[in-house]
Amino acid sequence: MCSLLRGEEMCLAQLFLQSGSAYDCINELGELGLVEFRDLNPGVNAFQRKHVNEIKKCEEMERILGYLLREVKKADISLPEGDVNPVAPLPKHVMAIMEQLQRLEVELGEVTRNKEKLQRNLLELTEYTHMLRTTRNFVQRTSEVSVSFCHVYEEFPFLEKDTLMDYSSMQRLGAKLGFISGLIQRTKIEAFERMLWRVCKGYTILSYAEVEEYLEDPDTGEPTKSVVFLISYWGDQIGQKVKKICDCYHCHLYPYPSSNEERTDVVEGLRTRIQDLHTVLHRTDDYLKQVLMKASESVYTWVIQVKKMKAIYFILNLCSFDVTNKCLIAEVWCPVNDIPTLRRALEEGSRKSGATVPSFVNRIPTNDTPPTLIRTNKFTSGFQNIVDAYGVGNYREVNPAPFTIITFPFLFAVMFGDLGHGVIMALFALWMVLYENNRKLKNTRNEIWNTFFEGRYIILMMGLFSIYTGLIYNDCFSKSLNIFGSGWSVKAMFEAKVWKDADIRGNRVLTLDPNVTGVFRGPYPLGIDPIWNLASNRLTFLNSYKMKMSVILGVIHMSFGVILSTYNYLHFRKKHSLYLVFLPELLFLLCLFGYLVFMIFYKWLVFTAKDSRLAPSILIHFINMFLMQGDGVQPLYPGQTGLQVFLVVIAVLSVPVLLLGKPVYLYWLHNGSHRLGMYRGYERVRRNSEEELYLMRAHDMEEGSSHSDLSTSGERQTEEFDFADEFLHQAIHTIEYCLGCVSNTASYLRLWALSLAHAQLSEVLWTMVMRVGLRMDTSLGVFFLVPVFGLFAVLTVSILLVMEGLSAFLHALRLHWVEFQNKFYSGTGVKFCPFSFSLHLSVT
Amino acid sequence: RPGFLSFNVNHGYLEGLVRGMKAGILTRTDYHNLAQCDTLEDMKLHLQSTDYGKMLSSSEEDLTVSMVDSKLRENLLTEFSCLRSNALPPLSTFLDYITYSYMIDNVVMLITGALKQRDVAELLPRCHPLGAFDQMAAVGIARTPTELYSAILVDTPLAQFFQDAVSECNLDEMEVEILRSKLFKAYLESFHSFCKTIGGDTKDIMCPVLEFEADRRAFIITVNSFGTDLSCTDRSALYPSCGKLYPEGLSLLARAEDHEQVKAVANCYPAYKIIFDDPEPGSGFKTLEDRFFEQEVKLNTLAFLQQFHFGVFYSYIKLKEQESRNIVWIAECVTQRQKSKIHNYIPIFQETT
Repeated sequence: MCSLLRGEEMCLAQLFLQSGSAYDCINELGELGLVEFRDLNPGVNAFQRKHVNEIKKCEEMERILGYLLREVKKADISLPEGDVNPVAPLPKHVMAIMEQLQRLEVELGEVTRNKEKLQRNLLELTEYTHMLRTTRNFVQRTSEVSVSFCHVYEEFPFLEKDTLMDYSSMQRLGAKLGFISGLIQRTKIEAFERMLWRVCKGYTILSYAEVEEYLEDPDTGEPTKSVVFLISYWGDQIGQKVKKICDCYHCHLYPYPSSNEERTDVVEGLRTRIQDLHTVLHRTDDYLKQVLMKASESVYTWVIQVKKMKAIYFILNLCSFDVTNKCLIAEVWCPVNDIPTLRRALEEGSRKSGATVPSFVNRIPTNDTPPTLIRTNKFTSGFQNIVDAYGVGNYREVNPAPFTIITFPFLFAVMFGDLGHGVIMALFALWMVLYENNRKLKNTRNEIWNTFFEGRYIILMMGLFSIYTGLIYNDCFSKSLNIFGSGWSVKAMFEAKVWKDADIRGNRVLTLDPNVTGVFRGPYPLGIDPIWNLASNRLTFLNSYKMKMSVILGVIHMSFGVILSTYNYLHFRKKHSLYLVFLPELLFLLCLFGYLVFMIFYKWLVFTAKDSRLAPSILIHFINMFLMQGDGVQPLYPGQTGLQVFLVVIAVLSVPVLLLGKPVYLYWLHNGSHRLGMYRGYERVRRNSEEELYLMRAHDMEEGSSHSDLSTSGERQTEEFDFADEFLHQAIHTIEYCLGCVSNTASYLRLWALSLAHAQLSEVLWTMVMRVGLRMDTSLGVFFLVPVFGLFAVLTVSILLVMEGLSAFLHALRLHWVEFQNKFYSGTGVKFCPFSFSLHLSVT
Repeated sequence: RPGFLSFNVNHGYLEGLVRGMKAGILTRTDYHNLAQCDTLEDMKLHLQSTDYGKMLSSSEEDLTVSMVDSKLRENLLTEFSCLRSNALPPLSTFLDYITYSYMIDNVVMLITGALKQRDVAELLPRCHPLGAFDQMAAVGIARTPTELYSAILVDTPLAQFFQDAVSECNLDEMEVEILRSKLFKAYLESFHSFCKTIGGDTKDIMCPVLEFEADRRAFIITVNSFGTDLSCTDRSALYPSCGKLYPEGLSLLARAEDHEQVKAVANCYPAYKIIFDDPEPGSGFKTLEDRFFEQEVKLNTLAFLQQFHFGVFYSYIKLKEQESRNIVWIAECVTQRQKSKIHNYIPIFQETT
């Protein structure tokens, strides 16, 4: 409990690790996750550290492993996952793993390269066949329409008058007709055609047709559509150009057969070759799968091992060598309670590595602020997270989390008060709690779900508290439960002859008078009387009740926060703050708002139904208290004006005390300490905890006087004092606190507003949806009720539970962060993050 | 100001993205650490801790400088195509404009390569991927600028810059450089007027940057033309006319005949005076090019001081390019063991962000 309130006590320790056993020791510590390492060579670059080569090796292995994992995933082989937790490999075993990995990589690389080559080959052959098949159609078509073709040729001279050679002269020169054929991606064909036309001025003819099948692109692996084309051209120069253009568009060119016989021969040859290739590819695939299967068995283990190894070397890089170079020195933050475990871990590490000289721990005194460690369990961690989201507490500061466990769900429930909704919420959370070990719930990647799952205990508590406040408000899906029987009686009104039958018939609304005997038989045993649910002035009644309740809860909550600050002052030996900060703060709060709470209770207790007409407005009294003019208003009790003036004076007087007290006192202390040498020694004893002082003394004896210099320099640091600085801080604090008291009290009215909104919304949902279904008189209404109830249920869950719940959660969060925690919690600490494998590891 | 209201609707996401990416630009300490490296492996290790992450570690073979260079370019291309594919007009046009300068460079490189009888397959990997386009490989076919235009580039966005560049003379090395200058002139002028039409902060940010770019080209053309047979009138036809030098400075530049005269022209403009000033003693010699780069970086960093404009995209790409140049320079120095020159990189953001 103490550790939850204040956090663990931490100490700085030096680990002397024999260089032979350092690796094993760090490994041991990593498994346990006990200590946080400090960087002892902050000035050294990453690549100049001691174990940079080992880290590089680990990275190389990680690269290979990444490659393996990708290949395994590509081949659709499932990784044998499991809760295996292999230990980090010994340095001497690393080479073996490395070799194995490299062998695998080479093997895999060769096989995949082969496979790719084969696939490329296959693609080429298929393309070639397609080309041959398609171009045959071109040629056939051309021969059919050769007559019309001729006309086209003859038109050339007219179209291209500026060209030097015309068709006939070309024929005379015997320029050879050449063919280039190949495949091109479909998207590029148009641009290709255009450029061909522009560059070659029409001395080419391009015919093309689309291939029906999708061919796989060897580079990206995506199926793409291709186009087979055939270019006929005249002259070698044009041919060169055409070839260049083909290169530019990444066409796959294939030789064009000169005759039909050759064509059929080639097609035949291709077919057999494709078949051969298919069988070879099949074999390669099988082999590849085998290799991958073998690799996948151990790849998971390797990944974890390499990660652990890399982490260990990373930590070793943080350590420094001692003078003799025989042992490594590491500085760690460690919880004091864990030091025996730490010792045992080091012994274990030394034993494992078979070192002759043991590694050991040495506590060293320090002036640095240690990191904060608050141990949590699955129940408290959620609440601790709420606090940590605001700020991690300073070392040994009072931690609001244990109080938040109760206050947070309670304030939430004040806003969410509904029995039915609370039950649903609690059941949902209970389900999560009961099945929390279920892997499916635990290991989802759904972020939203994880948020809910992590907060399952908070939700459970919120649900349970909502049930309680729901009972107090007597609200269950906006209806009231009449468990004990209402304390009001309508019948008594008739018996007393106040009402007659005509009154009932003539009026829609009648008022029950509690002053008539028998009408009000005493309060309902638990919460609000159910009869209020029928009353038309229900809202007026509840508003007044909830508003006052909000103020009462708020003042109590804030006073509690202020009182908690005493724990900090006492622990950090700032007794002066107790008198100069805490006392004026509490007085200011209680004299003003504490008195308001008193008046609320006074009014509740003193005025009954009989003299309720005389009941005063607290608001007026409260305002008059500040204006200091009580005339014209009936006093609540004798001596009211005097008491009120007294309280206001105290409150006003506490402001200058709060503003000036602490800075002036510190100033006096600082100046005084120069004159009084004795005082300083006294301060030193008070400031450091006795244990630390003892340690320091023991250390001084060990190392002579070398350390006392250090401690005095540390002492000097704390002595630096700037009055202006201190005063400014205190002034800001004072202004913030005094204004905050007013605004924070008002802020607690959100309890009332949100609870009102929730109640009204659920009532609206009932009247607008459910009542419509219940109003149907015919037997059809039964069937009608089913969809109506469905709608009602969906809206209840989505709007009232989820949306309203989130908003109430948000407001409860705000009340804790702003209104409660700023009274005592600074939250500027650093979280203790131990070196632990379990925090670093997550496969892929 | 126009566009303030609707800017975030259309371009807010991308601006946020680019500002996030800008935060990943290497800082002083990064360069300091990189400069201490002894091998490329060390550099790789350090770059892993920056936004480049695993960029260099995915390859099996040993690192070389050219591999680093191509990886950096690939990285830039990925980032750019992410921006481009999410862009809406007019930002998409703006981003396209950025690529045109790379396209021009690629075209010129391919033609020079073809003149030297190099194989296209060998040249293509050396082209900047930001300026890649379909017809690129066919550029070598062209013999004259007219042919280049009418046959190959007419479909590309570069066609609009060819109005002045069309000529029938055979492409030789000199002619190619002239072609490049003419294309750049047309490109810069067009980009400049495009930014003007967008108006608002884009204009305020981009115009000075482009004016600087135009003037830089004018200076460089002048300095490079010394000792060639390029006449004054030829030269003045190549100067982009959208810079601060236009028109008086350009006419002075056209008449300049040696470095001193160029310096005299620059002295009239405070922005360029510092570039041509003699280096302060002790600060080490820097080439004219580096000084211009330095100035460019300064101008580009200014773009990030304002919001709701496109300048950040241009500046980011340019800064990233400079960063690539820096890394390659350091890598080059590291492999050639030239530790003394390693500090000649141009740091981008002075403060450690």
